[in-house]
Amino acid sequence: MAGLSVIVPVHGRQESLDRVYQEYAPALMGRGEVVEFLFVFPPDGAQATRPLEPLKAAGAPIRILQLAQPAGLARLTRAGATHATHAFAARTPERETGAARLHRRLFHWLARPVSKGQFRDLGSGVGAVRRDALLATPAYGDFFRFLPALMMREGFAVAEVPVARHAADQRPSVYPPGTYFRSLIDLLGMYFLARFTERPLRFFGLVGLLLALPGVVLLAVLLVQRIEGVGIANRPALLLGTLLLALGVQAIALGLVAEIIVHLNAPTRRSYRLARGSDGPQPE
Amino acid sequence: MAAPALSVVVPMYNEEDSAGPLVEAVRSALGDAYAWELILVDDGSRDRTVERIAVLMAADPRVRLVRLARNYGQTPAMQAGFDAARGDVVVTMDGDLQNDPRDIPAVLARLDEGYDLVAGYRERRQDVFLKRRLPSLIANWLIRQATGVPIRDNGCSLKAFRRPVVDQLHLYSDMHRFIPAVAAATAGARITEMPVRHHARRFGQSKYGLSRIAKVLADLLVIIMIRSFRDRPLHLFAGVALVAFLFGILAVAASAIAMAYFTPVKATALVFPSVALVWFATAGYLLMLGLVAEAAVRRYGRRVAPVAALVQEVR
Repeated sequence: MAGLSVIVPVHGRQESLDRVYQEYAPALMGRGEVVEFLFVFPPDGAQATRPLEPLKAAGAPIRILQLAQPAGLARLTRAGATHATHAFAARTPERETGAARLHRRLFHWLARPVSKGQFRDLGSGVGAVRRDALLATPAYGDFFRFLPALMMREGFAVAEVPVARHAADQRPSVYPPGTYFRSLIDLLGMYFLARFTERPLRFFGLVGLLLALPGVVLLAVLLVQRIEGVGIANRPALLLGTLLLALGVQAIALGLVAEIIVHLNAPTRRSYRLARGSDGPQPE
Repeated sequence: MAAPALSVVVPMYNEEDSAGPLVEAVRSALGDAYAWELILVDDGSRDRTVERIAVLMAADPRVRLVRLARNYGQTPAMQAGFDAARGDVVVTMDGDLQNDPRDIPAVLARLDEGYDLVAGYRERRQDVFLKRRLPSLIANWLIRQATGVPIRDNGCSLKAFRRPVVDQLHLYSDMHRFIPAVAAATAGARITEMPVRHHARRFGQSKYGLSRIAKVLADLLVIIMIRSFRDRPLHLFAGVALVAFLFGILAVAASAIAMAYFTPVKATALVFPSVALVWFATAGYLLMLGLVAEAAVRRYGRRVAPVAALVQEVR
């Protein structure tokens, strides 16, 4: 019989965890599958485990994992998947309101180049995923919010289905300004990783050319003026042109270093994944 | 099944109409003269390519299918085929029937003359001049000049490789365009070329266009760097740093001349020294980057050292 491991990463949750279990367990167990609940805590989460202990003592299929080191959503979920008994894992949903919804829509609009517009709710807390696929997807840190897009990029089949939100789950309605800044930085990082991981010079080379070419043009104009007898020693344009050219050279040089690192790692890293059931071993 | 002596690797993307004729053409060209396998790499096709290949596999066990999880592009598909190949010799060709499998025996005979890699070139290309042949001519000229590997048609997929070369090729990005140059740079392969037939595409759509020139230029810079400075990147960065340092010295000299012979104003006192500082800082930055690259090569460089199998004892 197929089994289901429900991973509940306890990361800034405000609701009572025994209610989470009581709400979800009947529906999931009614499907005839073997179900286990894994509540995964950071080191300072000992207090929150208390409501779960009576349930566990009464025989509920609850496992409580506590990490030894501070961890965010990504590491908590991966720890849960690593220790999950079953091949399928599910995450539980959280509730959103007002500003959070606006934030989500803005985020998805900006994320279109990365997600290719295929997802309506990249950051949804609820989802079911094959355990091996979750562990094989390099989703870490804040990039975890792109999990569906990252999994699709890795070659896993991903589908999105509408789910109901539960009143018992709470998500903050207003985020601190740093959250929005981090979202933008993450989007930039994801865009770079998705497009240029294996060809960094195309990114840094483009940036370098965009900087260096205006610099070269500026310096060429100054050179012509100098030949015509116009003094350039007191022209700030000389400094600007030099700065642009130097920055361009630096960007291209950085791209070349990145290319060296990619080249050196090529023997141990394949850029493809075989389809499930395909002939041959799955590459590293 | 015992490992065959020859593996024919063919990347396929949306080639449902070509799959059957291709397998038949390979079977007809190779017959029983060789112990061969045909590895068809499905690069995430959206049509019925996989289903067609499954039927062909059932009819002939020498046909194998490697399925990629999604569409990755020709280079990863080619690498997946190399990883799956079991033969001592590997032949690659296109899946759209533009290459002719009847050329394979001649290519193999040429390989037996003592080469590690034989590249075919399309003697009478059946492509539109402006959109396909002209960009190809420019790209090939650039690749030849930049890499020093005298291959006139890098875009022809019909190539034969000895196993040690295949084991040393770790293709990524869009490197399928530069396989001979990469093989020469990373494995020291002995390379030659020979004319092969070329047919106009019979089925499906071409997946290339003029946009590849810009990509070729960027990739070319990488190949040059790998070929020339893979084992000593500090030399490259130190060379550029030296140029930046000389610019800085020039700016210092210009500043001194301006201060000595012309009416000194505040701006004059600032601009040239600032320019000199920018170049000195750039030189320092480039040197540090070179050191980082050198450290990376020392740490991981052993993985890409040429294999002993490609070293010939001549006496």
